[in-house]
Amino acid sequence: MTAQALAQVLASGLLMGLIYALIAVGLSLIFGLMDVVNFAHGEFLMTAMYVAFGLVFLTSLDPILVMPIVVAVLFGVGAVVYLGVVRFAMRAKANQGMVQIFATFGLATLLQGAAQYFLTPDYRSIGNSWLGGKTLELGGVFLPLPQIFGGLVSIAAFGGLYLLMSRTDFGKALEATREDQGAVALVGIDRNRVFTLGWGLGAALVGLAGAVLAIFYYIHPQVGATFGLIAYVTVALGGFGSVFGALVAGIIVGFVEALTAAILPPAMKSLGIYMLYLGVVFVRPSGLFGKL
Amino acid sequence: MNRRELLLGGASAMSFAAAAGFAGAVQAQAAREVVIGVIYPMSGASAQVGIDARHAFETALDIVNNDHALDLIGAKGAGLSALSGAKLRLVFADHQADPQKGRAEAERLITQEKVSAIIGCYQSSVSATVSAVTERYGVPFLCADSSSPSLQRRGMKFFFRPAAQDEMFSAAMFDFFDAQKAKGKKIDTVALFFEDTIFGVDSSNVQRKLATERGYKIAADVKYRTNSPSLTAEVQQLKSADPDVLMPSSYTTDAMLLVKTTAELGYKPKNLVAQASGFSEQVTYDAVGDKLRGAITRASFSLDLAAKRPFITTVNDMFKARSTRDFNDNSSRQFMGLLLLAEAINRAGTTDGAKVRDALAATDIPGTSTIMPWARVRYGADGQNPDASPVLLQYVEGKFVTIFPTDVAIAGAIWPMNG
Repeated sequence: MTAQALAQVLASGLLMGLIYALIAVGLSLIFGLMDVVNFAHGEFLMTAMYVAFGLVFLTSLDPILVMPIVVAVLFGVGAVVYLGVVRFAMRAKANQGMVQIFATFGLATLLQGAAQYFLTPDYRSIGNSWLGGKTLELGGVFLPLPQIFGGLVSIAAFGGLYLLMSRTDFGKALEATREDQGAVALVGIDRNRVFTLGWGLGAALVGLAGAVLAIFYYIHPQVGATFGLIAYVTVALGGFGSVFGALVAGIIVGFVEALTAAILPPAMKSLGIYMLYLGVVFVRPSGLFGKL
Repeated sequence: MNRRELLLGGASAMSFAAAAGFAGAVQAQAAREVVIGVIYPMSGASAQVGIDARHAFETALDIVNNDHALDLIGAKGAGLSALSGAKLRLVFADHQADPQKGRAEAERLITQEKVSAIIGCYQSSVSATVSAVTERYGVPFLCADSSSPSLQRRGMKFFFRPAAQDEMFSAAMFDFFDAQKAKGKKIDTVALFFEDTIFGVDSSNVQRKLATERGYKIAADVKYRTNSPSLTAEVQQLKSADPDVLMPSSYTTDAMLLVKTTAELGYKPKNLVAQASGFSEQVTYDAVGDKLRGAITRASFSLDLAAKRPFITTVNDMFKARSTRDFNDNSSRQFMGLLLLAEAINRAGTTDGAKVRDALAATDIPGTSTIMPWARVRYGADGQNPDASPVLLQYVEGKFVTIFPTDVAIAGAIWPMNG
């Protein structure tokens, strides 16, 4: 492999990794907050991509301009899912973990089915946009602008999340709730409200990822599965519940995937990711930054 | 409503239902129906193929069940004449591109829906398991649109494929390369780019063999994971090999991602000759058509043929009214597959599996009674139609033009593809 090809592999890995991180962080946030694994996470991503597509289709604005609306819509979706589904699943008297798994899994199937029924399984993609199909060339290394943009959005989102968690009352309430749900109730923090906002925030983050992906990836009802699985691996690697673990793990997954594809036959490129996953599960089940 | 009324109401409703059921049974005896199982991906990543297939089959159903004045097999007269005008009924099942789901659905259709034959299944991997089930139960399987050559190599008695398979398609591609070379064009190297299920693997095996036999160097041989989130590393390999012809065997999702990624990485393939599939789907061209100018794909079908057989326009319009799109490589084969199956059942004069099988084996229909460019429809001992001549189409100015073989071509190829 030439130095140039290696640089290309690493650059592509980094850019995809940042996007993987952005997809995964919402999942990790929700898990950290309330120990619920959202199996509909990939479908949230799919919903966000369709919302972005629909807004671009209806308003003819550039996908970048509709991003705030996508994020807001997904915040609503997350909050509604908590209030309408997860809240009830958490009240289960027996086998609560299973009930939560099946509730979110059922939601995933519902969202997929609804998307296929109402939006048809046709592949959609956003045709003309400011960034779509444009590429930056640096000494023979090609960096697609939509992915550079995605990487920057991801970094900015993690920056914003850091400020939110460390500097605001809501962030502190979030942190406190994940530490001890019972204690926060005693000091007058409404647990339900924090959970609602937490789900909203988690969904809004994956909404951001979906809005970015919609610029350069095809959209169809099953698109969530392609990225969802990688999100679970990323979260497991970074540590369930660790927001910044998701960032590091996303980048690692991106690198590992790109390098595996370059070294082994590309058909086996997922091999690297899942070996990594297995390794983590055996050696450090709590993940790199997990506090389990 | 008190309890007595409720009971009374329930009883009368039940007697009604019984009467209706009885009437239904009487009716069914008067005009018998022939049930055909249709197994396609109706959900999952390739659901659109299944939905288009459904429209294609319903168009064919309309042709068979109603009287149409077309020179197409199965069109004249309503229903199956030899079975006293029995109508066809289709039972659709979803395999989600999963061979095991396909196998389970095939068993269900045969044992519970009592289908007389099964047609399917798009993904070769699913056709492989479904045809194993039909073989075991002695039910004919018409393989409408799966193209792996290995499907016919399993000594099956109930497997029939009227359309070409990838050996025939790939041979046409290399015949075309030879012809281009004879015209002084430069074709020394090819790159294979194929997905990792039976379709891509079989297709690449044939292409690898043909390339070696005919003296083309394989500059890159890239097997990739289907439905990948990114194909950057894969395209990087193609780019550094920069072959004279890029030969992808890809389903729709990967085809779109491949084309997008080539553009992102600044790689312009000199020529692209595709094993159809994703490259015959309109959505691919809707999404990335601007980057596919001059792309060539093999096909079993071309709308050009309507100039010689006007009824193709009629049936295409019937299909378009249902699906809002033109017949393509896949939907045309699905449509034709059901007509050929109905014709054989009618000729057998019964729905008995073994007799329909014999009727299928004895099929001999001139290509001009079909919508396809095929010379004839007949089946060899392996169930494959050896006369299903494929064509190559080039995407020029927003539509497909037949460029090979020369006797049906309506234009010369633009080579290299970017002019």
